[in-house]
Amino acid sequence: MQSSPTGRVWVWPNGRTLGLTAVLVAMCYAGASQSNGAAYLLCFLLTSLAIVSVVHAWANLHGLKITVETILPVFAGDEVVAPVVVSGKRGRSHFSVQVSATREVPLTPGDTIVPDAPLRLEVRFPSPGRGHHRVVPLHLTSDYPLGFFTAHQRVKAAHDFYVYPAPHGSLPFPTTIAPTRQPRDGVRHEGDDFGGTRMWQQGESQRHIDWKAAARNPVLLTKQWTGETDEILYFEWGALPALDTEARLSQLTKWIVSAERGFETYELRLPGKTIRASRGDGHFHECLRALASFEGPAAS
Amino acid sequence: MNLFRQSRRSSTLANAPLIGMIVALVGGIIPLGERVASWVFFGFFAACIVRILLNRPGARLPSLPVKLFLFVASIGGVAISYGSPVGIEPGFSILVALVGLKLIEANGPRDFHVLGLLGFFLALCDLFFSQDFVRWLYVAAILLLVLATLVRFHRGRGAASYPRSAWLAVKLLAQALPIAALLFLFFPRVYGGFRFQFSQSLMNIGGMSDRLSPGSISSMALNGDIVFRADFPDGNIPPISAMYWRGGVLWRGEGLTWVLGPFLSHERRTGLLGGPAVRQRISLQPHGGRWLFALDSPASDERDLRGATYQPGNVLQSRRVIISRFRYEILSRPENRETTLPRDHRIAALHLPSHVDPRVRALVDSWKVGNPAPEQIVESARRYFRREHFVYSLQPGTYSDAHGLEEFLFERRQGFCEHYAAAFATLMRLAGIPSRIVIGYHGGEFNSLGKYVIVRQSDAHAWCEVWIKDTGWQRVDPTDMIAPDRISSNFATFLQTHTAQPDPDSAQGSLAATGLREIQHDLQLAWDSLNYQWDLHVLNFDEEAQNNFLLSLGLGSTSWVDILFWIVLTVALFIAALSYLLRRPQGRVDKVAQGYASFCRALARAGLPREPWEGAQHFGARAARQFPEQATFLERISALYVELRYSPARPNPHAFLAAVRRLPRFTAPHGN
Repeated sequence: MQSSPTGRVWVWPNGRTLGLTAVLVAMCYAGASQSNGAAYLLCFLLTSLAIVSVVHAWANLHGLKITVETILPVFAGDEVVAPVVVSGKRGRSHFSVQVSATREVPLTPGDTIVPDAPLRLEVRFPSPGRGHHRVVPLHLTSDYPLGFFTAHQRVKAAHDFYVYPAPHGSLPFPTTIAPTRQPRDGVRHEGDDFGGTRMWQQGESQRHIDWKAAARNPVLLTKQWTGETDEILYFEWGALPALDTEARLSQLTKWIVSAERGFETYELRLPGKTIRASRGDGHFHECLRALASFEGPAAS
Repeated sequence: MNLFRQSRRSSTLANAPLIGMIVALVGGIIPLGERVASWVFFGFFAACIVRILLNRPGARLPSLPVKLFLFVASIGGVAISYGSPVGIEPGFSILVALVGLKLIEANGPRDFHVLGLLGFFLALCDLFFSQDFVRWLYVAAILLLVLATLVRFHRGRGAASYPRSAWLAVKLLAQALPIAALLFLFFPRVYGGFRFQFSQSLMNIGGMSDRLSPGSISSMALNGDIVFRADFPDGNIPPISAMYWRGGVLWRGEGLTWVLGPFLSHERRTGLLGGPAVRQRISLQPHGGRWLFALDSPASDERDLRGATYQPGNVLQSRRVIISRFRYEILSRPENRETTLPRDHRIAALHLPSHVDPRVRALVDSWKVGNPAPEQIVESARRYFRREHFVYSLQPGTYSDAHGLEEFLFERRQGFCEHYAAAFATLMRLAGIPSRIVIGYHGGEFNSLGKYVIVRQSDAHAWCEVWIKDTGWQRVDPTDMIAPDRISSNFATFLQTHTAQPDPDSAQGSLAATGLREIQHDLQLAWDSLNYQWDLHVLNFDEEAQNNFLLSLGLGSTSWVDILFWIVLTVALFIAALSYLLRRPQGRVDKVAQGYASFCRALARAGLPREPWEGAQHFGARAARQFPEQATFLERISALYVELRYSPARPNPHAFLAAVRRLPRFTAPHGN
């Protein structure tokens, strides 16, 4: 959790400013054409209010502190969820503050930040391209106090997060160096350890059907058995020469995801970087991080 | 049917801001009530109630076809009830109807702002009908309510409260006032040259017409509307009873009915005799006519008159119809007389009614026996009115058109000033003395607080002028002979004294009542004085007044570009100051925290920053080890701070703050 450098607060006109301007012009015209001093006074008063409200809009966003908490990694194309903490300095309240990842203002009233009670919210935004990102682009906006102007502040919240390549590709697992007993489909059918259940399909052996579960469910499930194996899957960058960089990364990601689901042991070999065969959550994310921050074969 | 269902949304507006906005809109629409078709007016209130009901959870706003139907129906309804959708009153009706429709369909922040803007616009429309101070305060209240509602809306659901939002709105308004005043004083004004003027039909214009007939003045006798206010910049104030405010001159009479008469040549304004001058500054309320009133009789040089000319009969007429308040300065010379009577004036002033009753002729002939001088004939006529028990009455009854004069002179003998003036002028013409009728106002109420005269419609008056050779036109006020106290006091007082029944039993009570009435009257005068100042300094602050103001500041020759530049600069400085103020921390300043922070900063400068995880006690101990020479001081500060923060006894922070103020320079011992 680290505090972030914030940009200046700018106050911009919005659609309602146009409406207000129209009303002000009408008042000024009425003052001039009807020799109506009172209409002039009303016009000037409203103009001054608009000017003063600009200052208040500015002050409302001024002095906000933004921190971003841990962002979980996502696959490209998924939504990034950033937990954001907004706190006010100097013991002041800030009203109707909206935090979003884009400049567009969502059409809901924003949140209020009272002194000593930081506001926690989740900002969701479509993930940027795969990679290791170090900055969360955030926008603070507020229409407070009158809504005729929008205060806006750009915040580049410094925070690491990874966007993994999207798992894509239909190629089968590469042939492993260790001999195989049967064609690979990502899941082994024989072994000593119970590995969960999946839908039973016509033609499969009825020996593994989970009959106890069949009493509870209308569908038939078949038990899967996996086992400790001496086999290692080698996912190699060089094994996919026909694809371009991103497609290769997607294919490798897909394999890693499938392998991790299938409790396989796998090793990732990228140009210039090899992640030794292992499995488990730490290994899984290490491999995906490597893929996410892969900078091309030229690096080798 | 799909369209019906799909376009129905449930309301997303919170109740409190919605109701506040509805109150503001209703406040803006009430003054328009008279100008709006009554069904539209009540339809608007129905729309308010419907909208509040639709804000219940579960209810849905009307569908698109229903809204379209209501739209077409209201516009069509207005067009049918007025015969046309174009015009002032249909326009306002449509405006009110549209505000109601917008209210029904309003949903979401955008619509809410549209309602706020409509509120501002309605406030503007309210100012078309009246611009006096009360109305402006009312409009300012509506403005404040709209602002508070907008603030309330933007505070969202969590932190919203009306008193706080209203307080912020008041603060915004107060901060806006200096800029508004600056803009008001210096922003270049443009007036005139606009074709679109509708004040004439908006203002409640009543009062003088170009015609005098029985009842035309008595009908105004109870109308307290202000016609104009006049002050006297030279301090030369004539007595109220001598204030004959000249308006128009009527030349053609048919018995009791008098009209303007033929077009006449302009008299030469050279033979002016002079006499004492009374300078008046008159603030005329819009009356829809062109007459400009002035004390009898106006003698300003024609070149000094802004947009006005002299008309035959020595009356002033504006070139433009007076549809907005008009302020002018005029010089009058009460003793001034013309010396020559143009031929066509003489003919017009001797023109007899087509029918004259023999009894009237006999009466006039009786005065002419012995061929007396015209002055003597005038005196005979005055004596006649004084002797023959004429009654001054507000309800003289109606007189017939054809025989009104003789009926009035010989039978009923009841009349208001228009009867007397008309009869007197006709009698003079029958006697061969040129005469004419002047209509205008007489007297007024002197406001001793503001040193000005208020002239109301109830002060309307008609009197007579006769031409006496070598003297010129001379004023004869027949009402003076019938009801002298009507002339010596103003009409309101006259009515009071003549209608009140003395009741000896409640002398005590009536004394108190009189006292109360006097206090009330004084308050009214003070209030009117405020209104007059408002009129003078705000409403009449036009191009000319602005130029005078700039001249008085010595900025007469400054170009508008420069002035605009200075406006922008001043506003920018004001904004900078305001933003500095707004940045400052609000609420209670935690002096203890500030003091401890300065303590930590001093130690950090000396090379011992406080770690983020470190408590005050731990940090104090570490600092004491680092700087053994100041160990006691450091421990004392830490102990005081810990006590202040954690002791349930809420000790006095004085000792701590005093200690922090005397922070020494922390120096590490050598060799450390």
